[in-house]
Amino acid sequence: MRKDGYLPIRDYAAIGDGRTIALVGKDGSIDWLCLPNFDSGAVFARILDDEQGGSFRLAPTEPFEVERRYQKESNVLESTFRTSSGTVRVTDAMTLAPGEALVPQREIVRRAECVSGSVRLAWSIEPRFHFGVKPTRIERRGKRIVALSRGEALGLGAWDAGDPQVNGGRIESEHELHTGETALLSLAAAHHEPAFFAGREDTMHRLAHTERFWPKWAERAHYDGAWREPVLRSLLALKLLVFAPSGAVVAAPTTSLPEWIGGERNWDYRFTWLRDATYTFDALETLGYEDEARAFFWWIMHATQMTAPRLQVLYRIDGGKEADESFLDKLSGYRGSRPVRVGNGAADQVQLDVYGDVMHAIWLHAREHGDLGGETGRAVAKIADYVAEHWHEPDSGIWEVQSDPTHFVQSKAMCWVALDRAVKLAEAGVISDRAEKWRAEADAIRAWVEESGWDDELGSFIRAPDLRELDASLLTLLLMDYDAEEDRLRGTVDAVRRELAVGPLVARYLGEDGLEGEEGYFLTCSFWLADALARTGRTEEANELMAELVALANDVGLYAEEIDRDGAFLGNFPQGLTHLALIGAACSIAKAEAA
Amino acid sequence: MSLLGAVAGGFVGTVVLTSSLRLAHALGFTRMDLPLLLGTVFSEDRRKASVIGYAVHFMNGIVFSLGYAAIFYAVGEAGWIFGALLGVVHAAFAGGALVNVLLPAIHPRMGTPWSDAEETPILEPPGFMLMNYGRHTVLGTLVAHVAYGAIVGGFAAGL
Repeated sequence: MRKDGYLPIRDYAAIGDGRTIALVGKDGSIDWLCLPNFDSGAVFARILDDEQGGSFRLAPTEPFEVERRYQKESNVLESTFRTSSGTVRVTDAMTLAPGEALVPQREIVRRAECVSGSVRLAWSIEPRFHFGVKPTRIERRGKRIVALSRGEALGLGAWDAGDPQVNGGRIESEHELHTGETALLSLAAAHHEPAFFAGREDTMHRLAHTERFWPKWAERAHYDGAWREPVLRSLLALKLLVFAPSGAVVAAPTTSLPEWIGGERNWDYRFTWLRDATYTFDALETLGYEDEARAFFWWIMHATQMTAPRLQVLYRIDGGKEADESFLDKLSGYRGSRPVRVGNGAADQVQLDVYGDVMHAIWLHAREHGDLGGETGRAVAKIADYVAEHWHEPDSGIWEVQSDPTHFVQSKAMCWVALDRAVKLAEAGVISDRAEKWRAEADAIRAWVEESGWDDELGSFIRAPDLRELDASLLTLLLMDYDAEEDRLRGTVDAVRRELAVGPLVARYLGEDGLEGEEGYFLTCSFWLADALARTGRTEEANELMAELVALANDVGLYAEEIDRDGAFLGNFPQGLTHLALIGAACSIAKAEAA
Repeated sequence: MSLLGAVAGGFVGTVVLTSSLRLAHALGFTRMDLPLLLGTVFSEDRRKASVIGYAVHFMNGIVFSLGYAAIFYAVGEAGWIFGALLGVVHAAFAGGALVNVLLPAIHPRMGTPWSDAEETPILEPPGFMLMNYGRHTVLGTLVAHVAYGAIVGGFAAGL
């Protein structure tokens, strides 16, 4: 199952609680968990270093076959291990707090039920707080065991799970379960608080509460189109990426899962990209999750206050603007893919497309909810003024290229979107009225895109005037209602498919980006293509492509950022933008079919 | 030493504290908006919340000046330097406990570090020393409270 000590990325499933996520491997090993929040140091990082990363393993001692699924419309994972002597079902969840009870800050619960025969289970916990950079010690406190490091603590609860022993930096045990017997493990995390020692009944109560919550949350979804199952799974995955304390949405809960094995394209995605704003807001609103949409919208408005009218590409989930990038040299990286990064240097890049995404989200919010409030309205108008003054400058574009900034056509088109939405907001009386100026600049951008951003030979809009090639991000012109002739938009969709697609897989671009090495196919672009096909009236083709793409999900319906020709996932996982693009494509298909 | 002076100092000090934090906000040093944070306890409407928040904030400023006055009377001394020192303690208390821990605990629309997937607050929690609202917030808070304390101390001592 493991190669060089590492599982394929597609062999992971995610469990979470709205503050952090754990990745559970198909072999029962939890190989990723940051505490207390998504962007904190990892206590389990075996996915980035098989030997030193730390993990929480639970699996039969004899050879097994495993089948996994999420409990119906939930983020509670069930793995069924079949051995020659019996079958055991392991339920993994990060628990949610029922009511006012005293509960752990964060908790992973693992329940193993023997459903037939007998199965000997082995489990071990190797905590390595702060990515293993700071020392971890394990101590016995009476009958309990606790792992400690500076202000962090993990309290272990184990019931009918053997007699836990501490061996070096590891807590471990084995226990044989017979039909009808249940073992229970609780790992309760405390951050700057006393360690929490869970009781068995309370732990079972929290698990049961969590099992009830998720389907109840999912049943609120307003979606009756085709592809309901993947849409709901994507929605549940998206909810896992929402940082509940602030409403921010992380792009992915991991860092440095490589875009090519052994390559340097390894990035920290535990931040919120403003680019995702439109897609996130639209998906949540469309599917009936107004509270989450509203929380995310106001998080954007608050987080951007310190840099506005200039918008950063990404912000910390607590709203901070600092994302200083550094390397974790101690970790060997996923299958040797180094460096392992924390922080993200893209925060300092100029990426003009962000303005279009944010202004479109503001417009969607205002369309649904009306007034923004005077101060926010004035701030939004200043953002539009900033776009009007800066759209003609070069930038690093949506793909955050490391090569020299240039005039990306998609960036210019998104600046047009920003100004077009500003005009609409002004006309609706939501923001200060400088519509005439904004419309004039929008017209100038449109003229530039039509003149400099089009290539007759390719029959398509192009990446940039000095990069006369295809770029899959140009599909967003359709998604964001950019005002171009239908023939040109259709031509661009056809050209992207012709030049960048291999079957259902779509590359972002083929040209220079300032980085060494290759990368996989970008799954978001594949879903954008399906979306664009639906929007250009080709619903049958869109449905065919969706069928192929849905089949590419892993066994529990999740996607990473990229995929290679053999179907291996690459890049951070699970990837919010991929799931957002899936939802967007399904909604566009449903809309086209209903029309 | 004068109780009335301390209260008058509380009013003036709050004007200075609010204005200096507002200035820090406008200059992009912090995202903290204290009237909004206080006002949204009572209303989700941002306009109403700001008005209510300013009223609550000024009331707090007066109440705190009474606390300062009690300390001045207990110690038997008042003055702008002593007031400024109390301002340092006040800033540490505000950033470490009052706004960081107590406000999120009672605020119906603010997240806490314990908010989980079941909750959808619309205001992020301030974090330790309010640093979720920008790293410079701690400095702005300190300066503003020192100014407040110095003014209360100075007014209480009859300048």
